[in-house]
Amino acid sequence: MRTRVFVLLALAPLGGCRNVPHTATCHSHAAASIRQPIPAAPAPAVAQTAAPRAQVVPASHAQPDLTEPATGPLVERLPAPAGAPAESAASGATCAGMTLASIEDMATTYNPTLTQARTQVDGTLGKALQAGLWPNPVLGYQAEKIGSQGTAGEFQGGFIRQEIITAQKRRVSREKYLARAKAAEFGALAQQYRVVNDIRRQYWRAAGATRLVTIHEQMVKNAEDRLVTVEEMFNVGQSNTVQVRQARVTLQRTKLDLLAKINDRDQARRELSALVGVELPEELYGDELDESVPPLTWDASLAYTLGESPEVREATAKLESDRITVERELRQPIPNVFVQAGPGYDFTDNRTVVNAQVTVQPPIWDRNQGTIQQAHADLSRQRAELCRIELRLKRDLSMHFKQYLTAQQHVESYRGEVLPEAEQAYKARLKSYKQQRETWPMVLDAQSELYQRQAEYVHNLVTWRDSQTLIEGFLLTGGLDAPQNPTPPGHIDATPQPR
Amino acid sequence: MQPGNTRREFLLLGGAAVAGAAGTTFAASDTQPPANVPPANVPPADAPVVREAPAEFGGFSRWKPTFGGPPTADHYLGKLVPGLRGLGLAPVPVEIPDLPKLPFKMVGGVKEFELRCTPVKREFLPGYPMDVWGFNDSMPGPLVEANQGDRVRFIVHNELPEPTSMHWHGLELPVSEDGVPGLTQNPIMPGKSYVYEFDLHQAGTFFYHSHMAMQEAFGMVGGFVIHPKVAFDPPVDRDFFLIFQNFHIAPNQTISDSMAMDWNWHTINGRSGPFTTPLVVRHGERVRVRLMNFSPMQHHPIHLHGHTFWITGHEGARIPPSAWVPRNNTLVGVAQATDFEFVAFNPGDWIFHCHMVHHMMNHMVQQVGPRIRDDSDVSDYQNQLATRPRVRADFTTDSGFRTPGYPQNMQHMHMGEEMMMKIMHRREVQGMRKMWHMGVHGLMTVLRVLPPELYDLVMNSDEMVMPGTVFDRIVKGDYAKDYQQ
Repeated sequence: MRTRVFVLLALAPLGGCRNVPHTATCHSHAAASIRQPIPAAPAPAVAQTAAPRAQVVPASHAQPDLTEPATGPLVERLPAPAGAPAESAASGATCAGMTLASIEDMATTYNPTLTQARTQVDGTLGKALQAGLWPNPVLGYQAEKIGSQGTAGEFQGGFIRQEIITAQKRRVSREKYLARAKAAEFGALAQQYRVVNDIRRQYWRAAGATRLVTIHEQMVKNAEDRLVTVEEMFNVGQSNTVQVRQARVTLQRTKLDLLAKINDRDQARRELSALVGVELPEELYGDELDESVPPLTWDASLAYTLGESPEVREATAKLESDRITVERELRQPIPNVFVQAGPGYDFTDNRTVVNAQVTVQPPIWDRNQGTIQQAHADLSRQRAELCRIELRLKRDLSMHFKQYLTAQQHVESYRGEVLPEAEQAYKARLKSYKQQRETWPMVLDAQSELYQRQAEYVHNLVTWRDSQTLIEGFLLTGGLDAPQNPTPPGHIDATPQPR
Repeated sequence: MQPGNTRREFLLLGGAAVAGAAGTTFAASDTQPPANVPPANVPPADAPVVREAPAEFGGFSRWKPTFGGPPTADHYLGKLVPGLRGLGLAPVPVEIPDLPKLPFKMVGGVKEFELRCTPVKREFLPGYPMDVWGFNDSMPGPLVEANQGDRVRFIVHNELPEPTSMHWHGLELPVSEDGVPGLTQNPIMPGKSYVYEFDLHQAGTFFYHSHMAMQEAFGMVGGFVIHPKVAFDPPVDRDFFLIFQNFHIAPNQTISDSMAMDWNWHTINGRSGPFTTPLVVRHGERVRVRLMNFSPMQHHPIHLHGHTFWITGHEGARIPPSAWVPRNNTLVGVAQATDFEFVAFNPGDWIFHCHMVHHMMNHMVQQVGPRIRDDSDVSDYQNQLATRPRVRADFTTDSGFRTPGYPQNMQHMHMGEEMMMKIMHRREVQGMRKMWHMGVHGLMTVLRVLPPELYDLVMNSDEMVMPGTVFDRIVKGDYAKDYQQ
């Protein structure tokens, strides 16, 4: 397995947060590699000798210094797709001019959803920054009892008032938004998988469609030959007008099938261009569909998906955020202290005086009990959401693994038995025809059989690559859908002073 | 020598003795001892000519086409014209081209034969070994020759993976020896043997075969000739045995389908034309052909070119001369045999074949596809498996297609160099026209009637004879004016 490098994310600067600890949950996730290789089932020798997959270093695993500007990009490594060319091949043109690797590189630059995903992280980090800031002090001028005893008043002077945030509310608020930033990171990683998965799937589809066009061109030639043959047979009484007309119908249907395959190919190429974000040349595709890859197993795939899925990790990070939210809202009733003081002049006594005031807002009626209840509800909801995502992934994986397994079985069988046998049957009939033993319609039948089996092989190849891409890419699709907001729907969200 | 006999006749008469001897030698060289050991009071088959052959028989000439009539005359169309050997001799040995004869040993006054029922790889054409069953590794089985009055014993070993039994077709024998499984005996189980023993009081053309129907269709048959003590009158100089069979062997297959109702491989003595070995006779000889049809379900209208033959016998018995029928084409039904006799008066290479057109070639296929298209060759398809050639859509520019029915010309099997070597390098075909094999397919063989010098050149020398030279000498050379007058 060959690797290639992806630039994924850059975290925004966060002043004064050096000591903000990561939550235990996120940290443990971060400590693990996001992309563990799926243990391979017993595979052919060629597959077993393939290089191991590179492990992906998540953004969180890199222990970013949140106090530093986000100038240093974190490096993400995604495994090269099964059958994808080596990175070295990316720099060198294939016979078709471009490789899957080079196309993926272009997508990192031009696919707008990756930019959106990065800005989601930036925005959430901004909230964390904002949530940890001190409230600004109030400066004022105060004049009291103006005209008392014919004077300018008992107090003429300035004051300064500062709200003292108690119970470490700022720290907890910042932790909450950092947890959401972690969720945004995993969301961005998920978006990267969505883009890459879609590109790979589209690439396989386009490559398969290109092959199918060639095969269907042969099918048209076969149908043309069959028509000519039936006409030849007509002249010696071995076919009739009905059979001639039926041969013409078959030819037209075969031509329409070819046109449909050409349309498929063109559409696949255009969709691929849209995913990459730039117009791609027509002749793009190398022929990596056939390359051997280690087979997947259900148990390893399930463990890999549930353990490493960016969606699961994003949901887990959100759960941590909701847990902190509860903690934060529990601290909210603890009153902040407002301190106000300032010097002035008492014109009635003709002396300088100082005013001082300390106030609190005791939680008598409003103990934040409603918001605390909402925060608890959000936490419970997110726990259920995590469970839902895991079950949904298991359900979807079961479907894709079935498709993968079925396609893989077909591919191996077609490679080892079906295609060689069909080809040998065709060759045997050709040889026999040359020896005047076989009839030409029977040769055409064998030829048609070979082409049909070749087309089925390509369909299975594409399905195989497609499902493998999805399984290895955590079933994520939607490379042109806008990345989700890291704040779950219905949750307590930002205020001018987010908490 | 009769007055007026030519130099040629002298040579022929001199050669006739050699012919008989040659026939015997031919059989002997085929590893088999002669079966027709004559009784002590009968001169052997290779006894010298005891009389001079007349040139004319009541207006019939053995040297050229003549009428010999009226139809009631003894020599009408050569009916009772004897061969070149004498009367009162033992019959000549039977020649069965391309097949062996079954040896025997005398055990207590009984001729004892051993037959093994075996799977056989039979090369129907060079390079086409087909899977059939037969006897003693041969399909058809080896020829049995015996004499009227013999007591014979057959030890039959079943080397097949299934039961079988042996039937002696047409023989009048004790019912216990008739070989019908269940009805007259238990089947011979695989690996087991069975002994048949009976007396032969008949004379004529017979055969033996498995009495399991599908085994019959799969090739299990052999010829069985019972010679009279003294050769039938008029005596023949040459006596041939031909077994006609049909098989269905699909393309890309070597195993015969005995269940088939359609037949695409046709064999004479286990070979298809042009691999069938010609019957080479001397000009003027009287010839008998015992032709047996052992096809599963199709009859054969047998046609001989250039000669009129007399039907002198069928399976089981010789026909009294008063009932002989002259024909050039006669139908031989399934499991029937017919004895043809004629005087080989007409020099040349004469096709001798079943006239059922579907039997006149093997595996007849539709004449469509590249083989009839200009600028199209199957090799192009073989060399371009991934992207096949495009068919020419303007095939109708072939003017032949303006005529309904075109093409009727049946192109024949592709013959590689090795195949041609096997076909063309046999002594029996030396000197035939260069492309003779184009006209000999399926149930076809060739009767070669050769003047003695040319017979010796072809059959009794090691000299390579260039294609066409014998034929040209007969058609255009010095023989032409003598024989074609």
